[in-house]
Amino acid sequence: MNTDFDAIVVGSGVTGGWAAKELTEKGLKVLMLERGRPLTHGKDYVTEHMPPWEIPVGGKPLRELYARDYAVQSKNFAFDETTRHFWAKDSDQPYAQAPDAPFNWLRADVVGGKSLLWSRQVYRWSDLDFEANKRDGHGVDWPIRYADLEPWYAHVERFIGVSGQAENLLHLPDSVFQPPMQMNVVEKAVKQRIEAQFPGRHMTIGRTANLTEALGDRAACHYCGVCQRGCSPGAYFSSLSSTLPAANKTGRLTLRANSVVQGLDYDPEGKRVSGVRVIDTVTGERTRFASKLVFLCASTVGSLQVLLNSRSESFPNGLANTSGTLGGYVMDHVNGAFAMGISTEFMGKYYYGYRPNGIYIPRFRNLDPARPDGEFVRGYGYQGGAMSLEGARFVATQSGFGAGFKQAMRQPPPWMFFIAAFTECLPYKDNRVTLEQKLADRHGIPQVRFDVRFRENEAKMLTDAAKQGEDMLKAAGLQHVMSAVKSSVPGDAIHEMGGACMGRDPKTSVLNGWNQAHDVPNLYVTDGSSMSSCGVVNPSLTFMALTARAADHAAARWREGTV
Amino acid sequence: MMNRRDLLLMGASAMGGVLIGTPTLRAMAGESPSASASRAIFSSAQSQMISALAELIIPTTDTPGAIAAGTPAFIEMMATDWYTDTERKIFFEGLAGLDAFCRASFGKDFLAVSEEQRVAALTDAEKQAASYVSPLPGGFLAGMSKLIDENTPFFAKIKELTVIGYYSSEVGAKQEMAYNPMPMRYEGDYDYAKTGRRWSY
Repeated sequence: MNTDFDAIVVGSGVTGGWAAKELTEKGLKVLMLERGRPLTHGKDYVTEHMPPWEIPVGGKPLRELYARDYAVQSKNFAFDETTRHFWAKDSDQPYAQAPDAPFNWLRADVVGGKSLLWSRQVYRWSDLDFEANKRDGHGVDWPIRYADLEPWYAHVERFIGVSGQAENLLHLPDSVFQPPMQMNVVEKAVKQRIEAQFPGRHMTIGRTANLTEALGDRAACHYCGVCQRGCSPGAYFSSLSSTLPAANKTGRLTLRANSVVQGLDYDPEGKRVSGVRVIDTVTGERTRFASKLVFLCASTVGSLQVLLNSRSESFPNGLANTSGTLGGYVMDHVNGAFAMGISTEFMGKYYYGYRPNGIYIPRFRNLDPARPDGEFVRGYGYQGGAMSLEGARFVATQSGFGAGFKQAMRQPPPWMFFIAAFTECLPYKDNRVTLEQKLADRHGIPQVRFDVRFRENEAKMLTDAAKQGEDMLKAAGLQHVMSAVKSSVPGDAIHEMGGACMGRDPKTSVLNGWNQAHDVPNLYVTDGSSMSSCGVVNPSLTFMALTARAADHAAARWREGTV
Repeated sequence: MMNRRDLLLMGASAMGGVLIGTPTLRAMAGESPSASASRAIFSSAQSQMISALAELIIPTTDTPGAIAAGTPAFIEMMATDWYTDTERKIFFEGLAGLDAFCRASFGKDFLAVSEEQRVAALTDAEKQAASYVSPLPGGFLAGMSKLIDENTPFFAKIKELTVIGYYSSEVGAKQEMAYNPMPMRYEGDYDYAKTGRRWSY
C-alpha cells in the first residue's frame, strides 16, 4: 500500500480541483484520483474553434449510437459531436431507477469533470437560503450562515474570475466582480420595463466565470461562444485551466486518472479512514492508497456511491452513516417553467461576438419571511436572454425557395427573448440514492439506484414561475408571448445536491459545519452531496467556497498533527 | 444557463432545421474506417436531380449557390449515412414523385423539363408538404427537445438538408454569411447594416 500522501482527493472536477489547490498550497502532499480518462488542457480540446463545415453530419445527433451508448447523456443541450468525447458512456456506467421515478444522471468522464462542460453561472447564497430549512422545517438546519462563507466566496471569486454587475441585493450578495458583459439592446429594454412595472423585481447580466479581463496566465474571453468544447486560453474557469495548474505549481500534486474509487476502508480503533481502494479502469488492477486525510469530491452522486459502498462492521449501512440519513435528501433544481416572446422593435439591431452568458432575474418570491407572497415555500429565479432568430434554421421551414428565399435569409432577423425558471426543490428525506446490491457495474461496484421525485411545492412554483414569466414578458412589450411548464426529470438541471448533508447534530446529519464527517474526523465531503438545501441559484460557487473553507480547516488539523 | 448554441438549437429545431456541417457519420460512430465514401445508393439520374433541386432551393446569385458550395454531396451523404430507413424511403419516394408530376404535367422526366417546369414541380411538392402536421411539439416547444420527426414530407427533407449543407459550408459561411470565429469582444447594440449579412456558425 502506498502511504506517501498527506491527503487523497477523490475527483478532479470543480471541487476536487479546489481541494487539491488549497491543500497543496498549504503544504500537503496530495494524491488526486479521477475516474475519467486523462485530458491535457489545450492539446485535448480537439473541437475547439472547429468551423461549421468540419463538424460531422453538421452536428446532427448520431441516433443509433446515442440510443445505444449515450441514452441519457445525449439528452443534454451541451452534448453533441463537438463535446461527446468529454461525456460518460451510459452503456459503461449503468444505474437503476425506482419505478415511475426517472433520474437523468449526467456525468463527464475525463480529468476536469463537469468543470469543462458547466454553464459557468455563479451566484452567492444569502441567509435567506442558509436559514430556509430552519425557518420552514424542511430538511436539517444548516450549521453555517452567510457570514461563515462570505470570506471564502471572495477567496474563490478572486481566483476563478467572475464577471457581473453589482446590484446590492440582500438576497443575492454581490461577488468580487470583473467588469460585466453587456446586455443587448432587447435585454436593456426588457429590463427597464420589468423593473418599472414590477417593483422589487430586478434583471441583471449573468454572473459568469468567464473572464472579461486577463487574470494571471488566463486570457480574457474572445467571445467565440462555444465554451463547452474547451478553451485553451483558459478564459473560463475549469479545473484544467485554473486549479490544477495552481496545484501542479506546488510540486505536491500527483494526479492519477482512470482510477475509480471502489470504497474507503475504516479503522474502528483510530476512528478514521485508513485506505482508499482503487480500480484502474483500463487494466482492472486493484490498488490501495492511504493518507492522513481524505477529501471526497467525486460529484454528489459519485461521492454517495463511494460512501454507501464503504461498509464495515462499524458502518454496515455506509461509511459515516450513524445518522441513517446517508443518501437521503437528494435534490435537483426544477427547470421546467419557461416563457418567451418575440421582439420586432429593434429589427435593424444585431450583435457582434458570441456572448457566453445571458441575463438573470433574481428570486422575488417569499423574500420577507414575515410576509410570504407565494402559495408555496421558497422561490425561483430565471435565466435566459434575448437572441437573434438566425437565418438557416429560422428560414428552413418558412415557405419558398430560390433567389427570393436566399435573399430573405439576408434580412436582419427578429429577436427572441426567453427565460427559464430554476426552481428550488425541498430536501425530502425519502428522496434517496441507494445501492442496488444485485446489479454491479463493469468493475463489480454495486449500481446506484435513484428514488427522487419532485412534489407539490415544486409543482406550484413551476406554475407560478410560468405565469409570472409570461406576465413580465407581456409587460415588457414583447409579442407572441407564451409560457409553458414542461415536465422536468430530476437530474436535468445537473444541479443534483444533498445525500450527505451538513448539520449540527450527528444524529440527523452526516457532516458537520466544516464538511467533516461527524463519525470520521479525517474524512471531508465537499461536493454537492454536502448541501442541506439546494437554494435557488446555480450551486457551483457555493461548492467551491465550502471546499476551500473545509481545506483550510483540514490543513490546520494536519499542521497540528491531530489527523 | 443557456449559451449561444442552446438558443440557436432551440430556434433551430423550433423552425425545423438544424445546424450542420459535412464529414462522415460512420467514422464518428467508429463503425467504419472507410466511412468518408458514402455507399452509392443514388442512380446517376437521382444524383443529378439532387443537384438540380439544391440549386433551385439556393441558386447562384451575387454569391455562389448550392452546387458551388458542395451541397449536393452533403445531401447524398446525409441521406445515405444519416437517414433512417423511414426517412430514406420518403426521400426516394419524393424524387420519384417529382418525376411522376413532370410526366403527368409535361410528358417528360424531371431532368428533361425546363427550369420553369422544375420550379412548378418543386412548388407542387411544397404545396403537398404544407398540410403535414407533425406529432412532435411545434414552434418554439420543438426546440426544447432533441426529438426528430422522421416522417416530415420530402420537400421539408430536401430543403432542410440543402439549407443546412449550404449555410454550414465554407462557401456559405464565408461568402453568403459573415464568418467571425474570433470576435474578441461583444456588442449587443450593433447595426445590422455593418455586416449586411447574418453571422455564420
